Amino acid sequence: MTAAQPADAPPQTRRTVLLVGRPNAGKTSLLMHLTGSLQRPVNFPGSSVECVESDVTEGGTALCIVDLPGLVSLQPNSRDEELALAVLQGRTRGRPDLLCAVLDAGKLAVELAFLRQLRTLGVPIVVALTKVDVATAEGYPVDVARLQQALGLPLVVVDGRTGAGAAELRRALAALPLVAPAPEAAAGAAPVAATPTRSIARSTTDRLDRVLLHPLLGPALLVAVVIGMFQLVFAVADPFIGWIEVVQGWVGDGVAAIVPAGAVQSFLVDGVVNGVGSSLVFVPQIALLIAFVTIVESTGYMARAVFLLDRPLRKVGLSGKSFVPMTASFACAIPGIVAARILGDERDRLATITTAPLMSCSARLPVYVVLLAAFFPPHQAGLLLFLLYALGIVTAVAVALVLRRSVLRGGGSLLVMELPAYQRPRLRLVLVHTWFAVKAFLRTAGTVILVATIVVWALGYFPRPAAIAAEFDTARAAVVAGAEGDEERARLDAAEAAAYLEQSWLANIGRAVQPVFAPAGFDWRMTVGVLAAFPARELVVPTLGTLYSLGEVEASADEPDARLSTALRAAKGPDGRPTLDSLTALAVMVFFALCSQCAGTLAAIRRETNSWRWPVFTFSYMTALAWLAAVAIFQIGRWLGYGA
Amino acid sequence: MSAASAPPPSPPPSSPASPCLLREAQPGRSYRVLGVDGDDALAHRLVACGFWAGAVVERLQRAPFGDPLLFRVHGFRLALRGDEAARVRVVGAT
Repeated sequence: MTAAQPADAPPQTRRTVLLVGRPNAGKTSLLMHLTGSLQRPVNFPGSSVECVESDVTEGGTALCIVDLPGLVSLQPNSRDEELALAVLQGRTRGRPDLLCAVLDAGKLAVELAFLRQLRTLGVPIVVALTKVDVATAEGYPVDVARLQQALGLPLVVVDGRTGAGAAELRRALAALPLVAPAPEAAAGAAPVAATPTRSIARSTTDRLDRVLLHPLLGPALLVAVVIGMFQLVFAVADPFIGWIEVVQGWVGDGVAAIVPAGAVQSFLVDGVVNGVGSSLVFVPQIALLIAFVTIVESTGYMARAVFLLDRPLRKVGLSGKSFVPMTASFACAIPGIVAARILGDERDRLATITTAPLMSCSARLPVYVVLLAAFFPPHQAGLLLFLLYALGIVTAVAVALVLRRSVLRGGGSLLVMELPAYQRPRLRLVLVHTWFAVKAFLRTAGTVILVATIVVWALGYFPRPAAIAAEFDTARAAVVAGAEGDEERARLDAAEAAAYLEQSWLANIGRAVQPVFAPAGFDWRMTVGVLAAFPARELVVPTLGTLYSLGEVEASADEPDARLSTALRAAKGPDGRPTLDSLTALAVMVFFALCSQCAGTLAAIRRETNSWRWPVFTFSYMTALAWLAAVAIFQIGRWLGYGA
Repeated sequence: MSAASAPPPSPPPSSPASPCLLREAQPGRSYRVLGVDGDDALAHRLVACGFWAGAVVERLQRAPFGDPLLFRVHGFRLALRGDEAARVRVVGAT
């Protein structure tokens, strides 16, 4: 046994096991059952591809089990597959000690062909046979004893749902002698597979597909599912976001009570606490969205959605598989950009990644809500909101078309996609996926948003001329005591905050940049809001609140948005005329709809494309388009006689 | 194994059993794969998914806009675009 090992093999007490198998073969749930749920995502050097590894000890042998991205053959067809292959062949992490081939009993014929390829790697193999129940329901029962005999490899039947067989598999993985598998017996295992017990009788999946893939019902149901997803994500996330903001308020107040007023207090409350809060408010929606997408995916419906949409999306230069990242981007572009990994073709993936941020994400919604409430009657506001979302989609389609006919011409990903049998979703899998997505978001986007918030805070806080403090201290000293005086003092505090902000570097930058936005009708305060929103859109509402002298907009009243709306409507320029009207508001909203104002998204694009080229491109084209569209709206609107 | 050599007890009324491309397959009918054209990533993928000579393929649904097409091969469902299915040469089987 030891003689067969290569000289540089790791000590026998520790084994690296690679879980290899098709996408959907049930590798991830198998890993959870093998090791419990203590997992850690690992990044492969020089790439964004993540896989999960987890340790478990069995009978004195430490097993380090790595869940590789899905593979269907040893000829890779996407980045995920290339990486899986590199690990499998020992080019990335050193030679694996053994493979656990996770084979789906429902497609035994192709799985056995794949297993034949895996044997050529010369690494010991243990076979884990999954979904035997699905195969039986689909009319393809498996004779396990015969199969094992034909294969000549250790074989364990496992159930990804219940975890039955996992302990036995763990023992097999720990006990297997580390010798290369013998070549397959001459007869091979092929005859064992592909003996359907029935070919005319239809399974549940066939009956469901008759409805869900129906030429008319299918698309209608898909639309219903997508609308339902948005309703769920927004409705369910809303109270959580509210709680996060309340807790953020408490923490801010707590810090303010301990730390004396001044630069340090402001840094902690307005910089750090606000920055952490600004990142955390996205977590409920991202978590819900990922949970929903995982549920849809694990039922098998996601593949049907891709099937239904492949043709129309291909017409605009994307792929049916772009549906997943695009849909996710309505909540947040960051998980959407990561989800674009499923696209096999690099050009399809880049076209998807660079246009996904045009989908109106949840951070744009507060901006829309505040401005719509301020300048439009409710019956127009609903329609305009819909049009703003449509604008993002139409622009994304147009940009994708242009890209695929110019810099990203040619090629195109393959479809060749399995539509798995329908299954009930697995709660554990959903929880694990959601947890990973949230962690990944907090790691990449969260840190960027936090740093950006602190930078915007510093620009808005400094310098603080002593003259302003003196002026307001004098004014406060003159205010009478009592309830009436409290109100006056609060008004003075807000005015003082606004006065400081007007003196700040941020305001000076805003006034310097304002000529750029003058053709779109933005005043200097809106310009500052727009600039403050470049690191992260959610910074715009608090910034505008301070600029239009409301003090703390978010933490103040019961309906802070309504108060900001009123203040925006009431804002006057030096000439006494309103600086904002419905036309400017529309220009601002269109600007926000199209502009790339999210450092987290750009960081995600950088990570996923491994170059600065694509984030720079995305930022440039989106910002240019946003400016052009805002200017066009304002100028044409004014020419038509709208606005001031 | 081939359909022509076996003595047919009841010859299929409307199947000439002449080779065609999988793209032209009729819904609800079964075909036997003759081979996959080409030696590129798509061809390898199709073979890895079970479209090797002798495999039996059944044509199922079609997406609303006529493309992609759904097939059953070795007991599972596989969606192929029309131009992907055009790489697979088949012959009608009963």
